[in-house]
Amino acid sequence: MEQRRGRLLPVCFELLGKGQELCQNLGAELAAVLVGNELGELASELMDYGCQKVYLAEDPRLSLYQGDLYTDLLSQFIGENKPEIVLWGATTTGTELSARVAARLNIGLTAHCIDLHIEDIDGEPRLVQVVPGWSGNLAVKIISRTTPQMATVKPGLMSKAPQMKVEGEIILVAADLIESVIASEAKQSRAETIEVVEEEAEEMPLEKAEIVVSGGWGLNAAGGFAPVEEIARILGGAVAGTRPVFDKGWIPESRMIGISGKIVSPRLFISLGASGATQYTTGFTGSQVILAVDQNPNAAIFEIADIGIVGNLQTVLPLLIKELKGAA
Amino acid sequence: MDFNLTRQHEMLRDTVHQFADSELAPRALELDEKGDFPFDIVKKCGEMGLVGIMTPKEYGGTDMGHLARMIAIEEISRVYPPLGFFFQTGHLGHWSVQTYGTEEQKKKYLPSLCKGEKIMFDAITEASGGSDPAAAQTTAKLEGDEFVVNGRKVFITLPGAADFGCILARMDDKFSEILVEKGTPGFEVVRREKIAGFRTTPVNELVFTNCHVPKSNLLGQEGRGLAIALTTVAVIGRTGVAGIGLGIARGCYEAALNFAKERKLYGKSISELQAIQFALVDMNVEIEATRWLSYYAAWQIDQGKGLREIGADIARAKLLGCDLANRVAPEAVQLMGGYGVTAEYHVTRRLNDALQLFPAAGTQEIMKLTIGRSILA
Amino acid sequence: MALNIIVCIKQVPDPEHYSKVTLDPVTKTIRREGIPAVINPVDKNALEEGFSIRDSYSGKIAVLTMGPPQARRALEEALAMGADEAVLLCDRAFAEADTLATAYSLACAVRTMGHFDLILCGNETADSGTSQVGPQLAQFLGISCVSNVKEITFEEEMSLVAKQSLEGGYMKVRLRLPALITVRKEINKPRLATAFGIIEAAEKEIKEWCCKDVEVDSNCIGSAGSPTKVLEPIELPRRKGEIMTGSPEEAVKKAIEKVRELGGLT
Repeated sequence: MEQRRGRLLPVCFELLGKGQELCQNLGAELAAVLVGNELGELASELMDYGCQKVYLAEDPRLSLYQGDLYTDLLSQFIGENKPEIVLWGATTTGTELSARVAARLNIGLTAHCIDLHIEDIDGEPRLVQVVPGWSGNLAVKIISRTTPQMATVKPGLMSKAPQMKVEGEIILVAADLIESVIASEAKQSRAETIEVVEEEAEEMPLEKAEIVVSGGWGLNAAGGFAPVEEIARILGGAVAGTRPVFDKGWIPESRMIGISGKIVSPRLFISLGASGATQYTTGFTGSQVILAVDQNPNAAIFEIADIGIVGNLQTVLPLLIKELKGAA
Repeated sequence: MDFNLTRQHEMLRDTVHQFADSELAPRALELDEKGDFPFDIVKKCGEMGLVGIMTPKEYGGTDMGHLARMIAIEEISRVYPPLGFFFQTGHLGHWSVQTYGTEEQKKKYLPSLCKGEKIMFDAITEASGGSDPAAAQTTAKLEGDEFVVNGRKVFITLPGAADFGCILARMDDKFSEILVEKGTPGFEVVRREKIAGFRTTPVNELVFTNCHVPKSNLLGQEGRGLAIALTTVAVIGRTGVAGIGLGIARGCYEAALNFAKERKLYGKSISELQAIQFALVDMNVEIEATRWLSYYAAWQIDQGKGLREIGADIARAKLLGCDLANRVAPEAVQLMGGYGVTAEYHVTRRLNDALQLFPAAGTQEIMKLTIGRSILA
Repeated sequence: MALNIIVCIKQVPDPEHYSKVTLDPVTKTIRREGIPAVINPVDKNALEEGFSIRDSYSGKIAVLTMGPPQARRALEEALAMGADEAVLLCDRAFAEADTLATAYSLACAVRTMGHFDLILCGNETADSGTSQVGPQLAQFLGISCVSNVKEITFEEEMSLVAKQSLEGGYMKVRLRLPALITVRKEINKPRLATAFGIIEAAEKEIKEWCCKDVEVDSNCIGSAGSPTKVLEPIELPRRKGEIMTGSPEEAVKKAIEKVRELGGLT
């Protein structure tokens, strides 16, 4: 469970939601691990959402994320407690830390899963980790041959856990484990986190926008990115785009939609000139209404859109802008 | 026989392609509108080692050769032909210095040319006709330690932006090439032509009135000026035009191809209509034919073959390259309908640039005379 | 302070053509024929960061990639951009590796390359995008790492501060070298290869290493060394959407009507 400055990140509750489900299927116990300092309150919060056990590794020296310390600590903890499955939020820290722990323990880790469920594989219940495939609205199933089976999930993809108050147990991670990890790191002193700073977002974060207008690389042959910005302006929505559009420098990384970027679920998502590769579409399948415009009638995007317009972008987009202006 | 371009040629094409897309494409319309010579872009080309692409490393060049030069000009002209024209014309005097200059002249002029910091023009044409250079009237008389130059040059590209140049001048019954710095008393750039295309490379008229230049400004052997001028125009000018023509044609063809894929009429993409397909195929086939013929001509220069052997091949490259651009550009305009004649679609500016290739580095008729002489010899 | 920097790069299908990449339902592998391969875009930012550090502090840039024989072309391009030397780790035995086996193989290559002060990687690949290989490589080499970095500032010899981009802010970490950093695109603007770079690259060596050249445990590489296994592909649920008919004007009008109906527009 990732906490920053004493607050649990929202993705924790999304993981717990999935965790509750998996535990029901497996008949297993849902537990959470927190590393930091003065975590008591957070532990209670977690028990409101079904955590039967909350392990706390508390120490003032752990209050800021320290890559080497957290990796050592969690690796040893996992080694000792032998969970069946470990889930992580695919945040910057979660991604980095889970990868390091996986390498340390020599086990498999699957990144940014869009679904997790239990299936019988060769007679044994295994965690099936579903990740986006390529085009054609496909996804791919992955399993780990090692234990614990570890997976990361992007924030915003899964739904928040329903409240499920349980009589949970708070277990403190042994102080001497913490001490020995800190001591051995101190000998090497390879890295030190200096500060963690929260910044005021300049503009409304994409995840909070009610309307998102996203452009794909198909706009390149059709005159450029301007229609996306125009439509967003008319509707009071946020501008976004696909990975190729980001690679070309048309949008900053904070506006990239997809499994490697932002996951959004606005009231209205408009996709213009993007064919609909699964890595992109998984970024917005949670939207209430999806409108897609593309010149290829067979584009995969029309499989997940509610409303589609097929046509030459150079013809359709000015018409769309005109109609929306009139309607506004 | 290895018919492949080298890995170096490939990498060069890739990097110039990216350079053109990122640095030239966004500015093309604005540059043409303003009409100012793009000094900053030429400087960048210098930093990238493109201006001295056919110059030995000891003078600041990258010595990749004439085929590499043609590829670079092609990729640049695909996006912004006037810059290709800078290379075509700016390289004339540059290469003359490199090939015929004294060690001192090479060391003096080449490094800053290669860096793109200085620009050089080459003045041959006069009112008597570019196709008849031997009728040129500009004279140079040796008086003590100096040449005194009198005369008038017309339709010369670059003097308005240049720092110095070389001029073809009559000395008695022979010709010599003489270097002249801008600002020399008696040398004036008197007008700038309003030309259809190549809006940012100035075309000027030069007047020499008792212009004194040091004797050491003689370029190459005295009396050999005409041979130097004509060789330079062939090796550098004509190959340059072929590269520009290829680039213009490719730029128009790619625009037309993308448009055809996108545009829908009667419920389907027009690229499914045979008439459109055939038009695109014609462009494609002509581009491929012109490309390999032109590359062959440039490659032969790199193999060290002389004009006697490959003059006709070089003339063919100019002949075809110029015709190619002037056939493909209007064809692309037609295919794109109303969009084709709109500035934002970038085809009309290329069409205007293509026109400028007709009188460049020798007219099409001169090319035919050259080839005719060769086949009937 | 002359620094030995290793930049790890990967050759990927050109992201501009991703709509053409398909998943073969039978072999479960990605089909990328006819799609040009390029250096993973953000790896160029890693290279540029290396060049920038070398410009300021002097040093050597070695570029490493694990891939099939054609990955050589990516190394040629990196050399033309300005890298000093290159290593291609290429062997059938390395193929079909997941991130763990890839990181392990790269770690073996790095150890064979000799002393290094800093390893730079792109934050993620455009094709798989797991962001795992960098941190796992650091772990196998026993060095510290910071991922998703948008700024690197050297404090003194062998010590730097990395500014990591976090959701809603940033984290600053002081790293003692040797260490590994993965960079974000926003960290810099990669330079283009110049003609100078291209001709100089011709003099530079690309070492090609197979299993024998690098000390590896064969249980840890390729398929054998990959704890994660790909099963079959599945189709994701579709929406019961409709494509609007009629002329462009009609289609647009109908679409907006429908959007309103479904509650997308108020």
